[in-house]
Formats: sequence, C-alpha cells, structure tokens
Amino acid sequence: MKTRWRIPGSLDGLLVGAIIVVLWEVGVRVGNVPNYLLPPPSAIAQRMVQDIGSILYHTAATTLEVMIGFALAIIVSIPLAAALAQMRTVERMLYPVLVASQTIPKVAIAPLLVVWFGFGLAPKVLIAFLICFFPIVVDSLIGFRSAPKEVSWLARSMGTTRWQNFINFQIPAALPHIFAGVKVASTLAIVGAIVGEFVAADRGLGYQLIVANGALDVTLSFTVLVVLSLLGVLLYALVDMVERWALPWHVSQRAIEGDGR
Amino acid sequence: MSAALSLSSVGKIYQAKSGPVQALDGIDFSIGEGEFLSILGPSGCGKSTLLSLASGLEFPTSGNVALSGKPITHAVTDIGIVFQTDVLLEWRRVLDNVMIQPQIRGLDMKLYEQKARDLLALVGLTGFEDKYPHELSGGMRQRVSICRALIHDPPLLLMDEPFGALDALTREQMVMELHLLWLRTRKSVMFVTHDIQEAILLAQRVLVMTPRPGRIAEIVEVDLPFPRKPETMETRRFVELVAHVRHLFERHGVLKKY
Repeated sequence: MKTRWRIPGSLDGLLVGAIIVVLWEVGVRVGNVPNYLLPPPSAIAQRMVQDIGSILYHTAATTLEVMIGFALAIIVSIPLAAALAQMRTVERMLYPVLVASQTIPKVAIAPLLVVWFGFGLAPKVLIAFLICFFPIVVDSLIGFRSAPKEVSWLARSMGTTRWQNFINFQIPAALPHIFAGVKVASTLAIVGAIVGEFVAADRGLGYQLIVANGALDVTLSFTVLVVLSLLGVLLYALVDMVERWALPWHVSQRAIEGDGR
Repeated sequence: MSAALSLSSVGKIYQAKSGPVQALDGIDFSIGEGEFLSILGPSGCGKSTLLSLASGLEFPTSGNVALSGKPITHAVTDIGIVFQTDVLLEWRRVLDNVMIQPQIRGLDMKLYEQKARDLLALVGLTGFEDKYPHELSGGMRQRVSICRALIHDPPLLLMDEPFGALDALTREQMVMELHLLWLRTRKSVMFVTHDIQEAILLAQRVLVMTPRPGRIAEIVEVDLPFPRKPETMETRRFVELVAHVRHLFERHGVLKKY
C-alpha cells in the first residue's frame, strides 16, 4: 500500500492558524474593509513592531499580575482540596460556601476590590486568583477522591499510615486531575487580570486596550488582543510542559503521543 | 496441620434501610496451611463479605474469624490480596508496583528487589520490569498484581475473582499459571470465583455457597491428581465433580433445571 505523506501532528494547530491569518488578510484586502473596522494581520504585525516598547511594558505588567494570581491560586487551592478530601465533614460544610461564592461574577466584584485594595497590583492579582481558584479546587478534590475502593483496601492490607496513603496513593492519582484544573485556570488567570485592569489601572494590556478603544485605534486594540492570546497560549503551553515532565505515565498524553507518531 | 484461616459459626448481618440483611449464616470452615480452597457461588452469596472478614476490614456479627490461630481484631496486614481488577498504580513501573509492599512495610529494599525480580521472572515477566502498567496486556497486569500480593511472603493469599476481567483464552492460561505458581510456593489460598471449572481445577477443596443468606451448601473434596493440566478438564472425575456442583446449585435454586 502507498504510504501517504502526512503533516506532523504537532503542526496541525499552527497550520489552521496560518490558514485563518491568510483568509483574514485576503478577505480584508479583497473586500476593501477599512482599517478602523477590521485591520488586516499585516497591519497588526506592523503595529506590533512599531509600538514594541509600550506593548512590552504593558505585557510585563499584565504578566506579573497573572503569574502572581495564578501561582497563588495553585498554592492555596491544591492543599485546600487535599485537606477537604481527608475530612468529609469539613467538605460538607465548606463546599456549598465555595460553590455559592463562585456564583458571584468576578466582574461584578472587581470595582469593590479596587475600593478595598486601591489601584495597584493587589486587586488585579486578587481577581486573577479568585477566578483561578475554583476550577483547581474542584478538579483537585475529584482527583484526591479518585482512588477506587480496592486501592484503599490494598493500602490497608499493607498497613499504611494516613500519611503514607496520602503520599503514595492519593497524590499521584490526583495529579492528572489537578493538571486538568490548572490548565483551565491558566486561561482564566489572564481574563481575571484584564478584568481588574479594565476597572482601574495605569498600566497593563487591559489598560492599553481601554485606551486604544477610547481613541478608536482599532489596529492597536487588535494588536493587544493578539498579544493577550499569545500570552494565554504560552501560559497553557507552560503548564502542559510541566505536566508532560511530571506525568510521563498519564493516559491523555499517551493518546496524543500515539496520534503524533 | 494448623489452619491458616478459620471461621467458626460466623454470621454477618448488615443494617440496611429496609431492615437487617443477613449476609452470612453459620459459616464454618478453615483453610489449612498450604491449602488451596475455592469459594464458589453466585453473586449475592456473601463471597465479598467473606473476603472482608478474612482481611479484617469487617467483623462478624456472631462467631469467630482467626488467622493462624489468632482472632482477627483489626485490618490484617499479613495477607496478600488480588482483586478482580489488577489495581496497579499507573504511575509506577512494573517493578515499583511490586516493590510498593516492601516500601510501605519498611523492609530491606535491596533484598526485596531481587525477590521482586525473581517473582516477576516466575510469572514470565522478565524484561518488563521497567514498563508502565499501560504498556502491558490485561493478563500481564494481573500477573504483576499477583507478584505484588506474594512479595512479602504472606501466609495467606486472598483472591477475589482474579481472572474475572480477562478474556476466556487468557483466563485459561492464567488459571494454569496460578496452579503452577501455587505448586511451587504452596501458599494457603482462598480463591473466590463464580466459575465452576476454574474452582475445581485449582482447588483441593471447593466450598459451594448458596445465597440469601450466604450459607455453605457443601464442601466438595477435589481428589484430582497434581499437577493439573488443561487435559484434566477432560477426565471423567473432573466432569463428575462439575456435574455434582451443578446439581448442588440446581437443588438450591441457584441454577434452573431444564
């Protein structure tokens, strides 16, 4: 049988991206769409080079907020989930409160946080933290509970202490779930920081976006949006890399690897 | 011969919402040292309850359960358990999955690593020590879990339908391998199954149970010569024993008569 030439699996995403960019460019040029409605990718790229200084400055500000909020969420959520998983009663008491707190839209409390914590770094970090917190807690909790009853039976037949049980059985079983939660959170962290910047800020990509919109500088708006999505993709890729390194045995990666080779 | 496990007039009643449910009633048997005992019965006959009693996860409502002569008062660590699912830890390589026992128990890791390698070799898994469980077939995975149950040299091995999740061909092969392994190690084994042939082929005695409440219908002596082979299943005596057990089930209404 003839073997057909195939695009390497890892490039599939890039290829689709490239096609979208080309269609966009061609569509704008052929349709004669004015720049103040939809700038072509070439104009956005040009603007990015031209304004690289200010874009990098604002990107750095947003990245700092995102990273602190995201890291804080990881540091707080995972141990909290681990603790909740050990104590059914505490979980029963706290979980409804967690869920209830989550139904409050973060966008709605952003102005309040500005009133409480001022215009600086704190409110943005807090919103990023709050928005990341929940998915990590929920997924981690599922993870810490994911061991089937046979595993705990096996553990008891070995005479494990609670600590041994936690280290040897609960944590490794929970890790794939934890990473799933962290991945979702990684994309939300940026949303959180931007929401914070929308309310009150003097720097950051959210601030730059507001300014560009106010000046009807649509090209700059699009440039900022592109940077934002790049930032999101990078953060996600970072989490993905850590996962690959930490969980070489994990099922979801097996599927991807098998597909790519 | 002292008994590895003995149950005397054991009864177990569960408190369900609809009232008390008698799971076991008047269970009296013992597993001798080095004996292979099959426990055969339909679902709901209290086989799982028997296993929890033997491993000290639950305690009888009446009667006594003793391991090597000592009454069981808490979770027993002096046993090896093989479940229907292999319960391998996906994040540990094959050797590490077996080594979790000595690791948790704080035994000499060097000494036991050699033992683990020997055991894996005994079940034909040489060369797979550094593979992850997902790289193995179902039969191989179950063999690893048998090694894990044997590594700390427990006086009693509990097996809960260990081949129930395997396909029929792999299953037949695993039955023969377990038989050879038992002939070599001569562990006391409590082997729970709902497969009549499997129960008879492996065991010295088959404890036939009937459900609701779980009672012993009969303890059948299996006087087939060792070592047993797949051909054993074609012998007259084997066929007679299978028929005998089937009639037992028919008499107790477990199997319908046609």
